[in-house]
Amino acid sequence: MHAVAQRGGWRTETMAGGLMVAPAVLTIVALFLVPIGYVLMLSVSDPSWSLEHYRRLFTVPLYANVMLGTFRTALIVTLACLILGYPLAYVMARRNDAVAVILLVAVGSSFWTGFIVRTYAWLVILGNKGPVAAAYAFAGWGQPPQLLFTSFSATLGMTHILLPYMVLALYGVMRKIDPSYLRAAESLGARPFAAFRRVFLPLSLPGVVNGSVLVFTMCLGFYITPILLGTPKDMMISQLISQQIEDLLAWGFASAIATVLLAATVFLLALYNRFAGLDRLWG
Amino acid sequence: MGRTGIGRRRWIKGAAACALAPALLPRTSRAQNKMLLVNTWGGSFEEAQRLAYYGPFTEKHGVEIRPVSPMSFAKLKAQVQSRNYEWDVSSTGVVEFSLAMHEGLLEPIDLAALARADVPQNLILGNGVANMSLATVLTYRKDKFPNGGPASWADFWDVKRFPGTRSLYDRSHTSLAFALLADGVALDRLYPLDIERGFRKLGEIKPHIKVWWKEGAQSQQLMRDGEVDIMGMWNARAQELIDRGVPLEIVWNGAENYMGFWFVPKGTPRAALAWEFIAFATQPERQAAFCSRLPYGPSDPRAFAHIAPEVARKMPTAPEHLRASFSPDAAWLVPNLARLRERWAQWMAT
Repeated sequence: MHAVAQRGGWRTETMAGGLMVAPAVLTIVALFLVPIGYVLMLSVSDPSWSLEHYRRLFTVPLYANVMLGTFRTALIVTLACLILGYPLAYVMARRNDAVAVILLVAVGSSFWTGFIVRTYAWLVILGNKGPVAAAYAFAGWGQPPQLLFTSFSATLGMTHILLPYMVLALYGVMRKIDPSYLRAAESLGARPFAAFRRVFLPLSLPGVVNGSVLVFTMCLGFYITPILLGTPKDMMISQLISQQIEDLLAWGFASAIATVLLAATVFLLALYNRFAGLDRLWG
Repeated sequence: MGRTGIGRRRWIKGAAACALAPALLPRTSRAQNKMLLVNTWGGSFEEAQRLAYYGPFTEKHGVEIRPVSPMSFAKLKAQVQSRNYEWDVSSTGVVEFSLAMHEGLLEPIDLAALARADVPQNLILGNGVANMSLATVLTYRKDKFPNGGPASWADFWDVKRFPGTRSLYDRSHTSLAFALLADGVALDRLYPLDIERGFRKLGEIKPHIKVWWKEGAQSQQLMRDGEVDIMGMWNARAQELIDRGVPLEIVWNGAENYMGFWFVPKGTPRAALAWEFIAFATQPERQAAFCSRLPYGPSDPRAFAHIAPEVARKMPTAPEHLRASFSPDAAWLVPNLARLRERWAQWMAT
């Protein structure tokens, strides 16, 4: 031990540095790499060593269709969250009055309400005894179109649940944009919209990216909301994984589906990294 | 350095021995605690089990029962694989039970314990003991059909004579059997299922199914709020709504009646106690006590001697209900289940 300490400072330093990152590395290995490795192994070893699960995944059309549908749904929900969330976050970040506080509390309380509760709330709101049906009856329009158990209601429910994540991601970045930049742009002759488009919007892009990746990846794993609000055509890939695990005890096949989902997600993030840079995620 | 190295190795060995010691001893020490972990759904189900089974068992055998919820079929496999047991006794429907047996996840039955308690042979199936029966029944809202509603699955399929919103359970073999009944197959000729014919008949009703329900609570919400007028739902869930004043009618004609089974996860250190508990809970009086609180049917007909007739009339195993219902053939289903569910999901998604 003494010998090591005497033999030059750089060595102790690297050792100390290594020791300092060791807990972080160990945590990542234990909590992420080991379970993912286990899932990968199960996908080729349960119930016996073979690539049969992957063959089935790519030959039975159901799995490719549901996988594509899942990515399409996640994309639509992400865009809807962005379109609804951006103006909201903008107002919250740019104002310093009671309105901003009220909006923040509203978004926060939605964020902290369980998603099962919010899903069941939509069943009531869009149901045939809910306020939408009542408004139709009041206006004398008769029966409203069927809103529940459609792709629309499933998308609506998921957008509602994920919107706070988008808003908070945008808000965090927008809050940090110095208002004097906009004033400077305007003093140099930019109209308000030009100042927004050429100064505020580019500066807020990290928030857009951050929120979109967050919402998109969370949406890929959605399960109960599309089951309760949607149609069988809105089936998400996690439903198929859950069915294999819970109903059929087919962990190998479930792992294979999960592996393909993971690979597709990583591929998308890599594509995105190639063109936009993942480091933007952290602001 | 050398000496300290050996010392450290010794120290590690000693520490490992200390850490392993409790793991090597649990059989004796835990048995002395006299405690049993029973898996349950929680809520009113657990309450009924507490009154009918846990309390009397503790009183008689001095064994503390700790309920563990919720029920999870996947957890059975996880427990057996990791040999880390969160519960020692559970129960499930015949199809899942048979699948678990097929996968080799269940502890062999303790025939001696069951014989001591005089459990009838016909309640024993492989590694489990029949405990109660559950049913999926045709139900409809009486306020939507004041002059009498559908009385059979053929009526469920008859959208002209019985207009109204419909819902079925998102479960392949249950819905296929109902379709085959609607198509004129006799109750005792359903299994093995004619899958092609079943899907053809299901295709007729598919556009009229407003929602395929997946969760018990969801099925109740749909019926209670009048979102759906006619539904194939679990009899216990329907009965619960009726007891709360929802105007529902249960049609037992063509009901799917399936037996539930007690089982013990393979390798649990408290297996002996678990079979003692199962033998106790299978007693006719105990079954009667449980089924009188919830509308499940006792597996042992001798239990009806302890059940009030008006309560017995709501049970899946009441003789007139049994005559009008069918049971899934688990022996045929288990090897076909994966293929069937895959085709089902495919059919649902298109």
